[in-house]
Amino acid sequence: MKIAESFRISWRSITGHKLRSSLTAIGVIIGIAAVIVFMVLGGAFEANIVQDFEEDQGDPGMWVNTQNTNQGFEIVPSPIYTETDIQTLESIDGVEFVAPEANLQASQLSFGDTLQTGGFGVQAVDVEQYSEEDMVKGEMYSSGNEAVLTQAMVDTLGGAVGPGDDVTINFEGGVSEEYVVTGIVEEGFGSGPDAAVFVSLVDHYNTTVETPRGTQEQAYSSLIISAEDASAVDSIKQEATEYFETDSDAKELKQEEQDIAVQTVDDAIDQITAVIDQLTVFIGGIAGISLVVGSIGIANIMIVSVTERTREIGVMKAVGARKRDIIQLFLVESTILGAVGAVLGVVLGLGLGFLAVTFIGWPMAYPVNWILIAVAVGLTVGILSGIYPAWRAAKVNPIEALRHE
Amino acid sequence: MQEETATDGIVTLSEVKRTYYLGEPVHALDEVSLSLPEGSFTAVMGPSGSGKSTLMNMVGCLDTPDDGTVTVNGQDVGALSDGKRARLRGSELGFIFQQFNLLPRLTAAENVTLPMVFQNVVGESRRDRAKTLLTRVGLGDRLDHTPPELSGGQRQRVAIARALVNEPSVILADEPTGNLDTETGSEIMELFAELHDDGSTILMVTHERHIAEHADRIIHLVDGQIEEIEHVTENPPVQGSETA
Ligand SMILES: Nc1ncnc2c1ncn2[C@@H]1O[C@H](COP(=O)(O)OP(=O)(O)O)[C@@H](O)[C@H]1O
Ligand SMILES: [Mg+2]
Repeated sequence: MKIAESFRISWRSITGHKLRSSLTAIGVIIGIAAVIVFMVLGGAFEANIVQDFEEDQGDPGMWVNTQNTNQGFEIVPSPIYTETDIQTLESIDGVEFVAPEANLQASQLSFGDTLQTGGFGVQAVDVEQYSEEDMVKGEMYSSGNEAVLTQAMVDTLGGAVGPGDDVTINFEGGVSEEYVVTGIVEEGFGSGPDAAVFVSLVDHYNTTVETPRGTQEQAYSSLIISAEDASAVDSIKQEATEYFETDSDAKELKQEEQDIAVQTVDDAIDQITAVIDQLTVFIGGIAGISLVVGSIGIANIMIVSVTERTREIGVMKAVGARKRDIIQLFLVESTILGAVGAVLGVVLGLGLGFLAVTFIGWPMAYPVNWILIAVAVGLTVGILSGIYPAWRAAKVNPIEALRHE
Repeated sequence: MQEETATDGIVTLSEVKRTYYLGEPVHALDEVSLSLPEGSFTAVMGPSGSGKSTLMNMVGCLDTPDDGTVTVNGQDVGALSDGKRARLRGSELGFIFQQFNLLPRLTAAENVTLPMVFQNVVGESRRDRAKTLLTRVGLGDRLDHTPPELSGGQRQRVAIARALVNEPSVILADEPTGNLDTETGSEIMELFAELHDDGSTILMVTHERHIAEHADRIIHLVDGQIEEIEHVTENPPVQGSETA
């Protein structure tokens, strides 16, 4: 019997029992839709993070910091990157500048009567690290008692702070200093929280260490390497990594169980997306278990259908159907149910995913691979759940089937 | 009477035995020998449980003998594989049942051509064939109706068209008028008479004498054995006989 023929006959039988067929397909629809929803959410979340990163990225570059071996992302704030290291890195081809990052421990910020305790960061940043585009308003600081704020910081202080105003920072340890605001800097500048104050590095940072050569040098716990353009990033990363593995001061100064990480924005994105991917697959897999239920549903309905259609099977055998024809008919029927369920499940999943993602405010993601996998799984579920019922149908004895009503 | 020659004939049964064991062995067919010559019209009568359906199943290649041989068109049915027997059923036999046994979700035309589907006959010719046959049984205007939309008599006509579709060697009818009122039943018998006139070979089970009299001969079965083969000398006039 031709496959197309069985499609025609099976389709007739499916549409002839609309309610029953729909209920059967619902099991698969829900399973597939659940998987797709999670894949859309995962993909959208990922796209959202990547988008954030790319918006914040600014100048092409990478940062260098120290991590405890085997502890993933945990950054250790130990001052091991010396001035000598900075100078060596600056001599690498394509490097625009190398700037140390230094977080200052501040507890309170005040502007007139407005007090802000915690929830903000203060960083000592080398003037070199700024470019014109980073400034939203005003200009860079040029002396030790000047500071720039992010817009988020301004908002936190009530929105009225601007260039020329005075703010007071209380540092941990009881020291409190007054600064003149010279400008507003773009949000996402630096590596701390959105609400941040930046002050001059040379005037606020003076941690020194003894170098392997026995001299005393200023040292920092992390560095930013800025590239002249994006195409230089990879080669700089390679050279910098090599330097840290061979004759850097940082290599000698770091603890045995610490690693020096040179990370570009892409590396960070890769790391984060890898974690999200794993999570998404895990949750999607759990959702996929509901497909087993869908599969059992199809098998169950097909068995009922075989019993119900025993007489029809007998008739088909009487008019010349062979066992394989009957098997084919029932397999095609269950496969259609699985496939239709999968397609509708994908549509429903994309729809629900779109609603959720739009509601949250993430960009929509279309998990193409997962859509293909879902359809393949739906077909497989259809075929597998049809095997036993089809075998039962093929076994029907036409004499018995034709005898009783 | 059982010594009828079992060699020529489109269907032959020779010393066919079929026994069911339900505690006591029941001889549904007990050394039955029979031949259906080409173009013959044979009726089978007998009390309930005498083996009529078992005989039909044998000829219809749905069952195989425990002993003895059944041949259809020269082929030994008992020696065939399951699949080959199914193919033989589809090509050499046409079934007509008391319950019509049409597929309820297929149209009349699709029901008629269903046996062609299993013989892998494809194409537009199928619909032409259905139209020809349905016209022949008086349903040329009902091609796309489904069985629930047809009356009992019309359904049986569709079943007859289906039985003819693969130009079978033998038409098997098990109580074809059993579910029909007298008038409709005689209309169906009219069709059988026409088929017989056109040269079809027919084997029909019935328990009604006046139905059986449309045949050339009547086989009387009792306890799985042929008790008598009665030759019908004068067929009843089909037209208007029941309505008179
Ligand atoms: N599947 C079966 N199992 C057991 N006995 C059966 C079976 N089919 C038929 N028989 C027995 O075989 C005998 C003949 O049955 P059947 O051919 O159906 O008779 P009829 O059609 O003349 O009424 C009966 O006694 C019946 O009970
Ligand atoms: Mg019977």
